[in-house]
Amino acid sequence: MTGQSSYVLTSMDRIMNWARANSLWPLAFGTSCCAIEMMMSSMASRHDLSRFGAEVVRPTPRQADLLILAGTIVKRMAKPLRVLYEQMPEPRYVIATGACTISGGPFTYNSYTTVRGADEIIPVDVFVPGCPPRPEALIYGIMTLQKMIKTGEAYGQPYQRRRPITAALPPGMTQAQLQKEIAEFLEAHATIDVDKAAHNNRWEKERY
Amino acid sequence: MTDAELFAKLQEVDARVVQLPNCRPLAVEVPVGFLLAFMGKLKSRPDLRFIQLLDHLAMDWPEKNEFELVYQLYSIEHDLLLAVHTRISRESPYALTMSRLWPIAQYQEREVFDLFGILYEGHPDLRRLFLEDDWVGFPLRKDYKDYFMLEMPE
Ligand code: SF4
Repeated sequence: MTGQSSYVLTSMDRIMNWARANSLWPLAFGTSCCAIEMMMSSMASRHDLSRFGAEVVRPTPRQADLLILAGTIVKRMAKPLRVLYEQMPEPRYVIATGACTISGGPFTYNSYTTVRGADEIIPVDVFVPGCPPRPEALIYGIMTLQKMIKTGEAYGQPYQRRRPITAALPPGMTQAQLQKEIAEFLEAHATIDVDKAAHNNRWEKERY
Repeated sequence: MTDAELFAKLQEVDARVVQLPNCRPLAVEVPVGFLLAFMGKLKSRPDLRFIQLLDHLAMDWPEKNEFELVYQLYSIEHDLLLAVHTRISRESPYALTMSRLWPIAQYQEREVFDLFGILYEGHPDLRRLFLEDDWVGFPLRKDYKDYFMLEMPE
C-alpha cells in the first residue's frame, strides 16, 4: 500500500470512528437492579443520554452497536447473551456496568448461578464500577468509550481487543470536576446551546 | 381487626397456635401435624376467609437441624394478613401439600422443592421449576456445594 492511499484510509478511518462514536445505538439489555440506573441515565430527562449521541435504545440486536450490560448475568443467561452479541453487526462495543458484570460482585462467593465477570462470555470494552453505578458514572463510561473509538482503540482490527478499561473516577477527582468535564465536553462536541438548555442548573451556578 | 383479636380467633380455631414475637403482620407457629386442618379452617371460616395464598417459602436452620416453612395468607373479604410458620426436621423434609386448598401452591411448592428439596406429599406434579431437570442437589440449603461455586477464603 502506498503512503498516500494509506493516508486516505487512516483519515477515512478517523472520520468513520468519529461518526461511530457520536451515533452509538445501545441495545437494551437489563437483567437486574443496574438496569434501573441505566434507564435513569438513558431515558430520564435529568441525565439525558441523547446529549452524547447514544440515546436510541433498541430492543433488537440487529439495529444496535453498543451493548450496555446492566445487571447480574447468570449461567442460564450466558448463552442468550452470547447469541445477542453475535447478532449485533460489526463494529460492536460493550460496556459492562456494575460490580456484577465486572467480577460477580456481591455474588462472587457461594453463588451457584452468577457468572463471575461478563468478559468470561463476551469481550468487554469498558467497565463501569459501582453497585449500582450512578447515571453520571455510566455517562462517564460512555464518554470513555467514545474517546476509545475516536482514537481507534475499540475499532481497529475487528478481532483484536485491548484489555477492558475501567471507567472509574480517577483518584482525587470529584463529582464537581466530572460535571465540569461533562459540561466542557458538551460545549466542545454537542451542537445544542448548553447554557440555554441547562438553564438554571448547578453547573451554571458554579461556573458563573 | 387488631392483631390480638385475630390471634384470639386463631386460638378458637386451634388452641396449639403460638404467636411469634415482634412480627407485623401477625405471625403464628403451628406444629406440622395439625397444619393442613388448621389451614383448611382458616380458609373456610366465614369470619376469617383466607382465600389467597400470597407466598410460600422456606428457611434453612442447619444449627437447629430444621427447615422452617412459611405460608403468607391474605383475606380479601376482611383485609387480613397472616403468616403461618411451621418447622420440619432436616433429615426427613416431608410436608403435606396445600395445593388442594390453594391451587397456586402447586407452583410455590415446586419452587421450594427446587431450591430446598422439601418433599410435598400429595403434590400432583412435584418437579423442578427453575433449575434444569438434571441438577444435582438443592442450592439454597446452607450446606450446598458444587463445582462452579467459589468458596469464600477465610
Ligand atoms: S452490581 Fe449491584 S446494582 Fe448492579 S446488578 Fe449487581 S447487585 Fe444489582
